[in-house]
Amino acid sequence: MKQIDILIIDDETKFADMLGRRLSLRGVTCHACYDGQSGLDWIRSNPGAATLILLDLKLPDIYGTQVLAHIKEIDPALPVFIITGHGTREDETACLAMGASKFFLKPVNIDQLTTLLNHARGEGK
Amino acid sequence: MKRRPLIIKNQRWLDFLFHRPNIHLASFQTISNYPRIWIISILILAVTSLSPLVMATFINNRLIHKSVDSELVLQTDRVTSNAKRSMRFFLEERLNALRFIVNELPYYSLIDNEHLTKILSNLKLGFGGFTDLSIIDADGSQEAYAGPFNLEGKNYKTQSWFIQSIERDNFISEVFTGYRDIPHIIIAVRSQTAYGRHFILRATLDTQRLMDMLSSYKTNVHTDIFLLNRSGIIQTPSTIFGKVFTPAPIDIPAFSDATQVITPENNEENAYVIGYSYIVTEAVTTPFILMVHKKKSDVMGTWLNLGKTFNWIIGFCCLVMMVIITLVSTFMVNQLYLADQAKAETMIKMEQSQQLACIGQLSAGIAHEINNPLALINETAGYLKDLYQYTGEHRSDKEITELLDDILEAVSRCGTITSQLLGFVRQFDVQISSVDVEKLINGILSFHQKETEYKGIHVTTAIAPNVPAIETDRGKLQQILLNLINNAFQAIEANGCLDIMLSHLPPKKISIEIKDTGCGIPEENLKRIHEPFFSTKKEKRGTGLGLSITYGLVKKLQGAIRVESSEGIGTIFTVTLPVKMQKEEKA
Repeated sequence: MKQIDILIIDDETKFADMLGRRLSLRGVTCHACYDGQSGLDWIRSNPGAATLILLDLKLPDIYGTQVLAHIKEIDPALPVFIITGHGTREDETACLAMGASKFFLKPVNIDQLTTLLNHARGEGK
Repeated sequence: MKRRPLIIKNQRWLDFLFHRPNIHLASFQTISNYPRIWIISILILAVTSLSPLVMATFINNRLIHKSVDSELVLQTDRVTSNAKRSMRFFLEERLNALRFIVNELPYYSLIDNEHLTKILSNLKLGFGGFTDLSIIDADGSQEAYAGPFNLEGKNYKTQSWFIQSIERDNFISEVFTGYRDIPHIIIAVRSQTAYGRHFILRATLDTQRLMDMLSSYKTNVHTDIFLLNRSGIIQTPSTIFGKVFTPAPIDIPAFSDATQVITPENNEENAYVIGYSYIVTEAVTTPFILMVHKKKSDVMGTWLNLGKTFNWIIGFCCLVMMVIITLVSTFMVNQLYLADQAKAETMIKMEQSQQLACIGQLSAGIAHEINNPLALINETAGYLKDLYQYTGEHRSDKEITELLDDILEAVSRCGTITSQLLGFVRQFDVQISSVDVEKLINGILSFHQKETEYKGIHVTTAIAPNVPAIETDRGKLQQILLNLINNAFQAIEANGCLDIMLSHLPPKKISIEIKDTGCGIPEENLKRIHEPFFSTKKEKRGTGLGLSITYGLVKKLQGAIRVESSEGIGTIFTVTLPVKMQKEEKA
């Protein structure tokens, strides 16, 4: 089982790839899934492999909050950051209540993200 | 919305009459023409309530007049009948007495003056009203005379009364003056001597006796009783038509033995009725017509006055009712107007807030849609920059790195705009909780600690004692203060001052004053600073939404914001908020 730092679940493939590449340049290992189901499948088949999950809300198959709920069922300790272009206040409150660690509106600052990842790594260790 | 006070001031009563049509309000008002409604309501109320009253009064008046008329006719009829009966009796009695005398006594004793004088004195004693007696033979020469006048030896052959009386058994003359020059009536009875020659017993009657008798029927001054002859000449004095022997200016009524009452068609002022009867005795028809003239207005004065008083009372009642009707209508229509006005205002507010919500939703939608491509641009440009930085290629090509930085900066500005637009939408829901404003201010100031130290800005906070914790939306208040303090920091040059004052305005408000010694706002811009997208900070990356959002947020928290500024000296923003925010009804 390959240990990675971040699992990106986002249907914007180019965005996910680009973010993945930028993070890789900063020494962060990433894997991208382009819909909710494949993301959940990846988590199920690689338990404990990801340090952090970046989750979009508007996914083509399952809405992000439901994906979040499933992730929390699988691994409640796994930190999940919501990154979305469509976040409403209701979404924010709902996600935070369901255990999401952060709620970001796109576009997001990469340095901020890496800093938070380092925090998460530190907590993980 | 503020409730209107229940006690409505006087000047507000007629609001609807002086209201200026407002195109915005008019489209939401149920009724457009209030003065018309007012007039219609007054008319309907007046007609329905006053018409029965007026009708009853009218009918009552008619009834009074009718009964007055019939009563008058009845009275006149009664007086006429009574007077006629007395009159007839008076004449008949005397005629019969004379008849008795000529039938009882022989002719020779009648022509004895002494005897005749005795008979006269007996008649005066028994019946009264006789002036003299005389015996006149068929040729008209007077055979005997008893009485006060010296008429012996007179010949009456040519006198019309003699001609008439010699032709019939009994005769009663009109009033005339004759030889003696005094108005009198003649009663003549014809008889025969033992030799078959006709002779006449003539008596003259004192008219005074007749007048006294007639005037005894005058019940009041408004009744006039007099005699006419058949050619309309007055026989006894009349209070209305004048002296004896003048023609009366009235039509001679048609012959009738029985009492008749005529009601001439005449105006109300001088209305009168006339009762009359031809006087006919059993033995002879007399030339007399008994006339009774009765004035209506005065005779029935009491009744008519009562009617008038009644009319006045009704008129007064109508007036009072009209006043009440007018007042009530005015009040009701004005209430209707105020309610309608309030409704229209509410509708407009609702429409405005709906418009705002629409704009909000639209901008939120746009912001959301833009966020994704924006994120992609951000990452792509970021990746390009990363490539240069991490791979080391072209690291020296400063121009490309700078251009990429420009793109990233532009993206970041777009991001600020979209997040602020989303903030606009988020204004619409409010969550009330208890907020300690002092702590909030200190929290916000701590964000700027580094900037404060770096720019050497002198920050003072003056918190008045006993400022209560307020019930409001923490997030929105934080946003308001953040925006204002950020603005202040941007305006302040090095070594400037920022003063924040928090005070309690008893009983229900607090005020937060944020005073900077920055560049100030030119007067022409002061009015526009709350407009969306108005900004003077183009070069400093302003979106122009900050103060507009702040203004909207303060309104949302039911507060007010005031700004005073002088260019080059500084700006003071004062935010006033209620201690306890009222929950809004959901639109």
